Amino acid sequence: MRGNQANRLAAGGLIDRSTPLSFRFDGKTLSGFQGDTLASALVANGVKLVGRSFKYHRPRGILTAGSEEPNALVELRSGARREPNTKATTAELYEGLEAASQNRWPSLDFDVMAVNRLFAPIFVAGFYYKTFMWPAKFWEAIYEPAIRRAAGLGRAAGIPDPDRYDKAWAHCDVAVAGSGPAGLAAALAAARCGARVILCEEDFVLGGRLLGDGGTIDGLPAAEWIARTLDELAAMPDVRIMTRTTLFGVYDGGTYGAIERVNDHLPVPPEHQVRQRLWRIVAKHCIVAAGAIERPIVFAGNDTPGVMMASAMRSYINRYAAAPARRIALFTNNEDGWRTVEAAIAAGLQVAAVIDGRPDVSPAHRSLAGKGGFPVLNGSVSGVDGGKNGVRKISVSLTGGARAEVEADGLAVSGGWNPAVGLTSHHRGRPKWRDDIAAFVPDGAPPGMVAAGAANGAFGLGACLREGFEAGVAAARDAGRSGSPGSAAIADDEAFSLTPLWHVAGKGKAFVDQQHDVTASDVELAQREGFESVEHLKRYTTLGMATDQGKTSNVAGLAIMAAVSGKSIPETGTTIYRPPYVPVAIGAFAGPHRDENFHATRLTPSHHWAAEQGAVFVDTGLWKRAQWYPLPGEKDWLESVTREVKAVRSGVGFCDVSTLGKIDVHGPDAGAFLDRVYINAFSSLAVGKARYGLMLREDGVVYDDGTTSRLAEDHYFLTTTTAKAGLVMQHLEFCRQVLFPELDVQLTSVSDQWAQFSIAGPKTRDLLKEIVDPAEDLSNEGFPFMGAREVKLRGDLKARLFRISFSGEMAFEISVPARYGEALVRNLLIAGKPFGVTPYGTEALGVMRIEKGHVAGPELNGTTTAADLGLGKMMSTKKDFIGRVMAGREALVAPNRQVVVGIKPTDKARRLRSGAHIVPKGETPGPDNDQGYVTSVCFSPVLDQWIGLGLVERGRARIGEIVRAHDPLRGEEYDVELCNSVFYDPDGGRQRG
Amino acid sequence: MADFSWYIRSPLERALVAGRYGAPGEAGVSLTEIRNFDLVQVMARRGKAAETVNAAKARFGVGAPETPEAVDTTDATLIWSGPDQFLVLSRGGGQRMETLARVFAGLASLSDQSHARALISVSGDKARTMLAKVSSIDLHPEMFPVGTAAATSIDHTSVTLWRGKNRQDGQAVFNLLVFATFAESLWHTMLDSAAEYGVTIAHSEELA
Amino acid sequence: MRIVCPFCGERELGEFTYLGDAKPQRPPADAGEDAVYDYVYLRDNIAGVMSEHWYHGGGCRAWLKVTRNTLTHEISAVEPAAGAGSAKVGA
Repeated sequence: MRGNQANRLAAGGLIDRSTPLSFRFDGKTLSGFQGDTLASALVANGVKLVGRSFKYHRPRGILTAGSEEPNALVELRSGARREPNTKATTAELYEGLEAASQNRWPSLDFDVMAVNRLFAPIFVAGFYYKTFMWPAKFWEAIYEPAIRRAAGLGRAAGIPDPDRYDKAWAHCDVAVAGSGPAGLAAALAAARCGARVILCEEDFVLGGRLLGDGGTIDGLPAAEWIARTLDELAAMPDVRIMTRTTLFGVYDGGTYGAIERVNDHLPVPPEHQVRQRLWRIVAKHCIVAAGAIERPIVFAGNDTPGVMMASAMRSYINRYAAAPARRIALFTNNEDGWRTVEAAIAAGLQVAAVIDGRPDVSPAHRSLAGKGGFPVLNGSVSGVDGGKNGVRKISVSLTGGARAEVEADGLAVSGGWNPAVGLTSHHRGRPKWRDDIAAFVPDGAPPGMVAAGAANGAFGLGACLREGFEAGVAAARDAGRSGSPGSAAIADDEAFSLTPLWHVAGKGKAFVDQQHDVTASDVELAQREGFESVEHLKRYTTLGMATDQGKTSNVAGLAIMAAVSGKSIPETGTTIYRPPYVPVAIGAFAGPHRDENFHATRLTPSHHWAAEQGAVFVDTGLWKRAQWYPLPGEKDWLESVTREVKAVRSGVGFCDVSTLGKIDVHGPDAGAFLDRVYINAFSSLAVGKARYGLMLREDGVVYDDGTTSRLAEDHYFLTTTTAKAGLVMQHLEFCRQVLFPELDVQLTSVSDQWAQFSIAGPKTRDLLKEIVDPAEDLSNEGFPFMGAREVKLRGDLKARLFRISFSGEMAFEISVPARYGEALVRNLLIAGKPFGVTPYGTEALGVMRIEKGHVAGPELNGTTTAADLGLGKMMSTKKDFIGRVMAGREALVAPNRQVVVGIKPTDKARRLRSGAHIVPKGETPGPDNDQGYVTSVCFSPVLDQWIGLGLVERGRARIGEIVRAHDPLRGEEYDVELCNSVFYDPDGGRQRG
Repeated sequence: MADFSWYIRSPLERALVAGRYGAPGEAGVSLTEIRNFDLVQVMARRGKAAETVNAAKARFGVGAPETPEAVDTTDATLIWSGPDQFLVLSRGGGQRMETLARVFAGLASLSDQSHARALISVSGDKARTMLAKVSSIDLHPEMFPVGTAAATSIDHTSVTLWRGKNRQDGQAVFNLLVFATFAESLWHTMLDSAAEYGVTIAHSEELA
Repeated sequence: MRIVCPFCGERELGEFTYLGDAKPQRPPADAGEDAVYDYVYLRDNIAGVMSEHWYHGGGCRAWLKVTRNTLTHEISAVEPAAGAGSAKVGA
């Protein structure tokens, strides 16, 4: 099946003619071959018009054959897999590929928005800033939507991407970017020396420009040399060749970013496989052999479909056996462009003329023209006659002033070559100008990196092979590899004689940046308006800011700026180069970290049991915690939570508190250490006792709290809040290693070692008697409030009991080694059955702590002092501790500070909301009389009304005062009473009894 | 009154379903959870590093590792876990806190970690390739030979990673000690990473 | 960025946590408010070579003093904090 590949050459190319592929472009079914790109298949099918331009909706064709392409952007695939702004020039053809042109409506052939061209005069540089300034509200309502519809690129899928993305690390001695002659030579030389080598090639075939240009290396045709080289590389175990992989960014310390398009060449990735993989490559050395990009010459009509880079035309002819045109003209200012004429002749295509800007054309080329029967015109192209169906006629200004016309359906353009200086400039490097090739070349590179071959300005094949070889050997030697590299491959160096030519004056639009529709006159206008610096030029005209980042346009743009501002090109300079070198999907950066895998999760020892019970879970940090345990028939969360609270207050309940941070503090100086990190004393704590502790930051503000128990003379067991567990560990290690290195103390996280449950309620002791060995004394005398010690459980398991209470009830915390956690839960249910034991979640835990006036996260908010929390008396005056001095500052002890106080609405039926502001009664709420806010609220089953805690100015001195709760967010305002923050059992009799 | 039954639940008990997973064909990765072990963290006290190393030598016949290494002894593996500290990994019931407390009395602080970690062993043709997705460490045999250890992070989770003795078929074996509450999450991450190579999943009571 | 931990070897940035200027020393208990104020709030922020505290929390949990050029991210020295590896003190 050949289909209608009218422009497919009869022979040649690196396509597999035995594997035909059918694909759809804008709904039309076409065919190509394995080995085609979408662009080459479109060329083979004679498709010239592939898109409409960004601002003016001008018809555009294919300009290049690589990742520098500004025009041939398509929406690839459909539905959830639709990917906008995909370069047809790099999209590999596959069976069933679907692509659609962009930025046109209703169709590519008939685009209503092409009317924009009539308004072209207003779409000049800076038109957004000039045209749509006033009135401001028009911007959002009218201008922006209209512009977005008229000007734009492709459409995102708008629905979740069903494919998987992956991230991976790789390590090597030498990373090589690019597999042209320089890259292959570098990889081979380094590998032969014994180096671990990674070779990245963005194409799906290795060889770089050799694939389009051919040549002779070591006496072999290029294709044979490539095959031989790849065979040798493949046989070496420490060489990794990564095709479809672009090295896109240079990061610190020899780390490089690369994107591997693992399965973009298939409609759907095979099961278990990813679409793309983001690599972080750590390399001792990196050789940039990314080649060079042929640059256009700017002339009127240079964006007409059928105008193509000369090297791209060669690639389509030689690599893909696809003829971009039947009758070709060449416009060049250098020797290299002529190779396209040679390729066209060899392929049996007609050559209409060569327009060469240089006065002297080599005798060899003159005789080629003579034999081919086409004229060589000394001059430049000043205009193109054509439209959406391609080039028809080319106007030429001859040197000396005469004009000529050339009939052709394709125009190859070569303005010389720009080394790909992006990667070498990623650390704010500025490339330097070389007059002999009229191009910027790398001026040094980030540590460990070097450029070789065309990327370094060495355009000859022989030079590329030599530079690659030398760079490969040097990198391997520096990495300590001493093997023999053999000798460098040998090839001739072609002549590269160039006379700079950037812009041909003429009538009509001459495009510099085709993707963003920036013309030569836009650049001139920017200069006239004072935007002369290249960074200003870029932002004012948007030159180089499109998805191609100006790969084909930047140098021409600043050459034109240099000309109009009377400076040299190196004086004008380049903009900063930043990663990524090619667009990388955000999905690839996210990798597997999306949806439920967005971050790691932590599960408590009772998690699966709680899930079986139908618990509702809440994310707290990385943890999943049981929030409440609904029973059948309960109508909402409040009903379940209220039941749980009542069950605890009247009987007994238990709650998994394993999420608390737990730290073993060991060593002879453990007590002295804790004295310095807590505001209260711990060296005086008796073995077998627990104490509530409060830590400050060095600036005097409260950092964290928790109970710490002394289990032995030289062993404390410290707990932190769930939220701060990791940070407190880091802080304590800082104290140990940096602040107090003289102390003999050791720290270990034991958060995961212990399953810890709070058992609370008046029947706690009854339950514990069932599960704890009868030999253990749990009486008030044998195990007083704040006691802490190891006990034996029935069935011979050791556990730790801590008589501490967060709920205000008679309570213990029990901990067992974590793998017994689930058994403990089930045994608590068995042991507690006679007492109606009830599991409770974090919500009931929160209700009971608010009823009891205990502070938690909303009060420990990074602005409160110990005194604000009502804990000022805990601050020891007998010792130094972190935060002591700063806590005494005037503003931190000021009498009008906002302090913790209880709050309840005067109307018992009203719901109190956290976040509501407190203002004096009878005043109009505003920032001047804002006296604080409600921090925590709950419905209190004990008081049968909503209550809360708040931070209120002089709150504890105003108990009984009625103030206003002002809640502008919910549009509410109501009276509340400031009250004692301990709503429940203020004497503490219940927890001590 | 009857005594209670205190059974053990591995943190991977639910997530781990033994069998074949992922791409068909020969499995490139084997993931095995090892369940029956004791693990004790030993931290030398101030100025007691050398004596702690010597005490380990007296007990185990080899000194405790002072650089990132894992050392096999007849009845335990000593794994470096940070400056002046190491882990003693042994078969369940082998080297309990009580036993080790006598060995290091006055020299080091001990902390039981037996329940704080899950132990996962990764091997197979594609083990290194798979681990490259989750670990930033260079596991090339030249850089990470048998006996190398690392205190590192996987998926923002602290792990102790070391290369054990090769499998009988010569394949490298990488062992991971991961915090228990993170274990299920990391397990799923590793399974996802390994799926494209085909995975064999198993659990074992025995230390290799 | 990569930091060579003196205990673990070269590791990627993600394993480390940055704290900041390592120059200020915590004043003795009787130093007075001004000295503590300076310690808490006065930080150098040098465009160039700085001594900084970094924590290898994703690795061996050692606190490190890293000498780093804030303009180039070049790291010229890494040493453990005084109390990291202190079991070797006097040994």
